[in-house]
Amino acid sequence: MLVIGGGATGTGVARDLALRGIDCILIDQKDINSGASGANHGLLHSGARYVFKDGEAAAECHRENQLLKRLAPHCIEDTGGLFVAVEKDDDDYVARFPELCRKFGIPVADLTPEAARQIEPCLAKDLKAAFAVQDAVIDPFMLSLDNAADAMANGATVLRNVRLTGFDTDNGKILAARVEHRRTGKPFTISAGQFVNATGAWANSVATMAGANISMSYSKGSLLITQTRINERVINRLRPASDADILVPGGTVSIIGTTSLEIDNLDDIRPTTAEVDAIIREGADMVPELARARYIRAYAGVRPLVRDLAGTSGSGGRSISRNYTLKTHSEDNIENLVTITGGKLTTFRLMAQKAADIVAKRMGNTKPCLTDKEHLPASAKGEWTEPGKSPRVWMSNPERRDTLICECEMVSEYMVDEIVRSLKDEGAQPTLEEIGRRSRIGKGPCQGTFCSFRLAAYLYRKGELIDDQGMDQVRDFVNGRWKGFRPLVRDRELMRVELQESFLCALFGMEED
Amino acid sequence: MNAAVTQTGNTLNCQVAVIGSGMAGMAAAIFAANRGLSVVQVGKPSEISFSSGCLDLFSTIPGETLRSFDNPFEGIDVLTAEQPCHPYAKVSRDEIVQGFEEFTAFMNAAGIRYHCTPQSNQKIVTPAGTLKSSWCVPSAMYAGTRALAEKKRILIVDIRGLKGFGARQMAQNLKAAHPCMGSITVEFPGREKSGDLMCERLTWDLEAPDVLKRFIKVLRPHVAGYDAIGLPAILGIYRFEELRTKMEKALGTTVFEIPTLAPSVTGLRTKEAYIGHLGNTSVRHFPVSVKDIQTGKNGGFCFEVTEGFQNFEVNAERMILATGRFLGKGLGVNDTGAIREMLFDLPVVQTGHRSQWFDRDFFNKKGHAVNRAGLETDVVFRPLGRDKKPFAEGLYAAGSVLAHQDWKREKSGAGISIVSAYKAVAHLAETL
Repeated sequence: MLVIGGGATGTGVARDLALRGIDCILIDQKDINSGASGANHGLLHSGARYVFKDGEAAAECHRENQLLKRLAPHCIEDTGGLFVAVEKDDDDYVARFPELCRKFGIPVADLTPEAARQIEPCLAKDLKAAFAVQDAVIDPFMLSLDNAADAMANGATVLRNVRLTGFDTDNGKILAARVEHRRTGKPFTISAGQFVNATGAWANSVATMAGANISMSYSKGSLLITQTRINERVINRLRPASDADILVPGGTVSIIGTTSLEIDNLDDIRPTTAEVDAIIREGADMVPELARARYIRAYAGVRPLVRDLAGTSGSGGRSISRNYTLKTHSEDNIENLVTITGGKLTTFRLMAQKAADIVAKRMGNTKPCLTDKEHLPASAKGEWTEPGKSPRVWMSNPERRDTLICECEMVSEYMVDEIVRSLKDEGAQPTLEEIGRRSRIGKGPCQGTFCSFRLAAYLYRKGELIDDQGMDQVRDFVNGRWKGFRPLVRDRELMRVELQESFLCALFGMEED
Repeated sequence: MNAAVTQTGNTLNCQVAVIGSGMAGMAAAIFAANRGLSVVQVGKPSEISFSSGCLDLFSTIPGETLRSFDNPFEGIDVLTAEQPCHPYAKVSRDEIVQGFEEFTAFMNAAGIRYHCTPQSNQKIVTPAGTLKSSWCVPSAMYAGTRALAEKKRILIVDIRGLKGFGARQMAQNLKAAHPCMGSITVEFPGREKSGDLMCERLTWDLEAPDVLKRFIKVLRPHVAGYDAIGLPAILGIYRFEELRTKMEKALGTTVFEIPTLAPSVTGLRTKEAYIGHLGNTSVRHFPVSVKDIQTGKNGGFCFEVTEGFQNFEVNAERMILATGRFLGKGLGVNDTGAIREMLFDLPVVQTGHRSQWFDRDFFNKKGHAVNRAGLETDVVFRPLGRDKKPFAEGLYAAGSVLAHQDWKREKSGAGISIVSAYKAVAHLAETL
């Protein structure tokens, strides 16, 4: 089987299939979680957010929330969550919330505004209602990397930087996927019996190659990361979905978002200055200190929204269902393709199971799904994404001559060695961006000013980079971080950019070819 | 006859106040002192520790494509024809040459020797394995410039634990142009057990004769077959010429230095040499920042500085702002999101809303718009007020705070600083 797409769903499908004893290959055009799975809040929904629009989706979230807290606890910080309303929010909406939660079986507890402000002193003074729910925080990188690692441990193959260019089909049957290596441009084919399209926002591009069509729209959501952690629990604004409704804590930071902007083009997804301003303005109604907070970075992801489902009336991304879409493509007369897209990070496992059920059955495999029973093992691939782990490990080994490459997040040469080894297990030479995605490198306040370059120097020393490869990779890494920093620059940030440009351009001349 | 700063009680009286201790501030103070004027200089000399140690004049015109010039003067001629507002358009070639001569003569006397080819930039190796163009190169780097030009067999050495300086990275990136380049990593004597090494720390270590001997011993087995050895710039803060000569003798090869990331020893050397040599001049230097400046009687300026537990009131007849850009806090942003000048709230050439300050591509060849914001001046570098006339008769501005330049992309940082300071001081000296 071939699984296309290495986000939460794709890695979930690969693991699910591997646990059923099915041989599978997972490909991604870039890297694990390089799409929406790597650009969201990292929120494990309690379900309460969906009680107004989709009770079934709400109940589904609740079930998956409980399941994942039990089976993948190492990826989750069980913070709990709050829903809060401020003076200007609609009373009627607030009043319906607890009854709807109870109706769909979502645990909810009433809190007085005073009690809520005692738990979260950052909340606005004009708070008028508060409820406690079972939201939690999930590390999407660790989750997908651990899913991929467990899939590999059970026989699956994971190929990064492999881009689908087309399918060889014969009479409604896909024989093979035509692919090419993104860096080398080298084409090859992958033959398989069944194909799973788990490419999120790119689902229609893949389906089109197979001769099918999925009517989709895309909604860009931008988020901001604060320099310090502001809140202990997830804080949701209790109002109809709008900008900057959710403040999610994570490790040493908090994340506020999102916006929702309909877009047509998936090529250049980036947060804008206007979105940053809107997020800060709206977020400050709920948590006033967001107006004065320092921000490390902004980022943006794309929600794939499928129009075939109920709820297509109305305009804009938020009125289309957030529930997932599963297509067997029998109506397109393709017998061995399944598309699974849409949905939420919280329900990724269930989505993977539904897709795996179909293709396993088509293959005649009747083994039951195990991902709702077996623990997700922690792996060496995912371990370094955890904030605070690198400093802990580094500090506990004071006698080791282990040089810090990233001083903000305390990522050392030893940790880079580990990540490089696990990336090479997947059969390809690691890049700076890939190492960055699997660690905290570049995620601290310096945002890659020093560490990108230090990492390149270290990889050269170890023989992992040759010729002038490293220069292009530093440029890519810096530009990747720049994308998220540029819209945040307003005053003090100008100093950091000036410093960074002094090194990279005035001294190194990296703007030259 | 040299005028000295006069002191009455807690009041200091001088002819010229220089605000800022970076390249432009140093140059302004030197030029004023050389003209026999009494000078008070204030400013924390912190940014200079980011300096590579080279004095760039000009090499590149940013744009859709980069136009680079071996001869900086040829480049400046093209630049000023196209960009008549550029600071270089306000100065003649003679003024540029005289400014550099006067500045480097002072630094030479302070212990830093520069090598300069009048009509041509020189190339130095950077830690990225690129070649940087500069006009005046300190002798420790110049040895590398020559070794490169003469296609010598070069060994680049890095030190385990010293981050952001990779010998193999440099050799790999330069190997197309310089195939005879080797690289090794060595342990630094006495620091074998440390994980993190800093350039400044190693530099202090090497000032001890014993450590230098042991370092030479570490290097000796690797140098056979090489004509030149390139090291990170750690060979001493004060006795760098002596240390390098000793190493060359002991190893029988050329030894040269490569600048490192900040805080750099090369920048520190410049600062230490400058401060050390100020004692021979009429400059009174306070390493503090100034917040509030009053324009007073007779067009003069008045501000307070603190030295130890003592407060002084400084009265100056003329003032030069060499306050730098955002990092130096010469420029900042006001409540409405506009770029402002921090001491006098002088009018600043703006570059649009902040969403237009920067390009999406960090490395865009045109450079970022915001880098051209800054102070508009008259032809002698007096910043203009809102009425387009000099804001004050005796107020001048020099260095990166000036508008219509992009020193990081043009590789013109030291040049703009030295030359604008030169012209400003020449003018104010005439008026005193």
